[in-house]
Amino acid sequence: MSDNMKRRDFLKGAATGVGVGLLGAMGLYSYSSQRTRHFPKAERKMTDIGVCKSVKVTNISETSWFDNATLMGDIKGAGGLLVNQYDYNWPPFGNGKGLGKGSYKEGIAQIKHLLPNRLDEAWEIISKNSVHPENAGGFAALLDVEEMNGNKRKFLLDVGWSYQWCDECFKREGIDKMLQNKEIEALFFSHEHFDHFWGLPVALKYDPEITIYIPEGFYPEGLQYIKDCGHKGKLITVKTGLEKLIPGMACYVFAIPIICRVYGELSLYFNVADKGLVSVTGCCHQGIIQFAETAYTEIKYENDKRHGIYGGLHISPFEDWDPKYDDLVISLGNYGFEHIGCNHCTGILCAKKFIEAGYPVVEGSARFRSKEKAYLGNGDTITFG
Amino acid sequence: MERFGEGYLEERKLVKRWSGPIPALVSLVITLAVFYLTWWIFQDPRGIMRMYTPYVGYMYCRWWLIMMIWMVYIFNFWPFRRKWLETTHPLIKGTIMTLISVVIMLALIKGFFEGLLGNYGLAYFNPEQLEKLPGVTSFFAIEYSALAILMFAAIASWLSPAWVVALEEAPWQKLTQPAKGLTILITTFFLSTVIYFVTMHPHMGILYHPWQYFTSIAPPYWEEFADTVSGNFHVSWIMCCTVVVWLVETIWERYPFNLIKNDWARRFACFFGIVAIALAMHFFLYFAQELTWGEAIRGTRRGFAPDWRWLHVGEMAIFFLVPALFLAFYCNNWPKKYSMPVNVLVRTAVTLAASIALYIFYYKTSHLFLGTQKGFSHPQQFPMIPMIWLINIWLVHHWFMDNWPAWKMVQKTADEIEADHAAKNAAIADIRITPKFGAGLAAGVVMGVAFYFITVWALPSIYAAIDINPGV
Repeated sequence: MSDNMKRRDFLKGAATGVGVGLLGAMGLYSYSSQRTRHFPKAERKMTDIGVCKSVKVTNISETSWFDNATLMGDIKGAGGLLVNQYDYNWPPFGNGKGLGKGSYKEGIAQIKHLLPNRLDEAWEIISKNSVHPENAGGFAALLDVEEMNGNKRKFLLDVGWSYQWCDECFKREGIDKMLQNKEIEALFFSHEHFDHFWGLPVALKYDPEITIYIPEGFYPEGLQYIKDCGHKGKLITVKTGLEKLIPGMACYVFAIPIICRVYGELSLYFNVADKGLVSVTGCCHQGIIQFAETAYTEIKYENDKRHGIYGGLHISPFEDWDPKYDDLVISLGNYGFEHIGCNHCTGILCAKKFIEAGYPVVEGSARFRSKEKAYLGNGDTITFG
Repeated sequence: MERFGEGYLEERKLVKRWSGPIPALVSLVITLAVFYLTWWIFQDPRGIMRMYTPYVGYMYCRWWLIMMIWMVYIFNFWPFRRKWLETTHPLIKGTIMTLISVVIMLALIKGFFEGLLGNYGLAYFNPEQLEKLPGVTSFFAIEYSALAILMFAAIASWLSPAWVVALEEAPWQKLTQPAKGLTILITTFFLSTVIYFVTMHPHMGILYHPWQYFTSIAPPYWEEFADTVSGNFHVSWIMCCTVVVWLVETIWERYPFNLIKNDWARRFACFFGIVAIALAMHFFLYFAQELTWGEAIRGTRRGFAPDWRWLHVGEMAIFFLVPALFLAFYCNNWPKKYSMPVNVLVRTAVTLAASIALYIFYYKTSHLFLGTQKGFSHPQQFPMIPMIWLINIWLVHHWFMDNWPAWKMVQKTADEIEADHAAKNAAIADIRITPKFGAGLAAGVVMGVAFYFITVWALPSIYAAIDINPGV
């Protein structure tokens, strides 16, 4: 055999061997227990966000829409969950052209001159031009935080969707007066979704100067809507990551894509004295366990204990189910939460599965159009601390 | 005796109309234009039919792929006669065969799955039956049934071509069409059913409340190993199998399995070799995600959820297939001038580099022009759908239209066919298992293992430096 042939044989063998070695290592090592040696050692940052005495949440409304089939029918008819939320032709951006043919620009042009004070007139126009205005509800919550010195501070988390429904709920819970009296110092938007954000003029009707926090990722229409609603106060865009707010209260922004062309979610952490971590979410598109794990790596909290959850946990918002949701039901017990107040996009089926699993779900009263006691429903409250 | 299309693909000579890379580039531009137009018509959430919901669009996409595989690989173009294939204008051929593939696809989905199975067997194959379940909305009824039907296609799109590529149509290779096609079709369909029942049926069984303990295994047997009860664990390796079958058939020229002289040993080695390679990809691509995003956490959502990580393995795998098929269909399986193992290695390296570039390009830009959502883990973000849609268009173009207009099809002469066979046999015979080959093999194995660990070591920092998209 000539040297050239030997070299060629060697090369052929080597080319084959590279594939064999590479695939062999891929198959044998990649899922072995040895692989964990390559993971970076996660060091807890233990950021001190301070501590508060208690936090009380009043559920102004968790009923974002009243009928699942109607909402999903609209979504299906317009082309699915990826359609831009401003294009569905839902209230308040109805342009009269029908499902899936909406436009922020055309919709807002019809009501802009009436915002934020003449909402009844605006809703009359909206009702004529939009798809299923009667199905719009909204998610909103009032947060009462008591500082260690006894000082009490109020915040709003989201403002719902329908002008009509939100105004009714605000009045029912006395939010209108609190806003008028400037008792509520800021409004946090969990994300840009219709059912959390589009009811903004109702809040601005009572306090146009309220400070607003939004997660980064709002689309141009959303930013314009804040202006078009007549907001005159400070607008703070929170960047991805942790942001301390007041002693014992911080927010965390997750850069995540969400259905209906929305991006980014802001959720709240409270460090309650002697109790531990309390997580308050709007929809929790990042996942409640991700939210809890993030707290573990990022912040320091009392007794190193996760104490409570309140809010939408985004598991089966349309009462759909998927085996991966069972992963959450199975795993949540490992996190040791002592009080779980869930509603909205958690899904009733999921709340019932939590109860069946023996988790400490705080049940509600099923009033004001909330459907089930498994939920902490409209008008119900929960206090941590 | 009429051969129909048996051997048609191997015996046709595609002659470039222009020199250099122009035909490949022209074909790329034309097929991308068709892709974008048809995407807008059928799939795009902003377009006309808006089938990317996503599962409805995906179901049609997968079954259309299978239809073409059946028509070309299993039935060898039967009942189209060889003369018709050789003389009909590619545009007419493409139109007729595409329409036929669509008609059979609709008959299968609407008639067999939704109509027969959905009404008389497993209710979840039929959306109308599913809607009878309290609380299930029309939207999810359609999505769930589409998921079940498409998963059947995913399994079939591995097994159907594998019977031809790995098992060489054995033991029915000597049957004439349509007997051969029907036999392979029924066998692979049966096997797909068995695999569906042990991989996806338990997933479908726990979609509903309460879990269907008595009709499916719940919790499923893979729960502990996969760290999830979701069937996405199986989607992952099945997708990898689908991809590896085509890598073996195209850019690998069935190497190294073609070195095995014993027929049945070669066939089984190739079939199970494909599964083994797919499993290696399945585990590595999961590990790659752990290295870049951190360890998965069971019960969480989106980017950190094990179920999504497994699904993403399948999504990553499909990115390999696109450049591999482009090399095979439009670049004449470049390069061909070295020995088979070296050619295979170079093609694999090119495919690997191109697939990484495509992955980055897709996640950076697709939301801008496909109507999909930005980010990796959005529940409606399924890169498999546009990738397979593009591949479907290439299959129509390459199989049904002979790469028209940048190539012209002429039939090879008997001498040319003979020369091809001889060249193929010579290329295989050129690989001699000598001591030098053995030494090279050992050195190569070391290099392969080293390359693996270098990749594992470098991946986190490379990923961080590229910063594809923050939206995990």
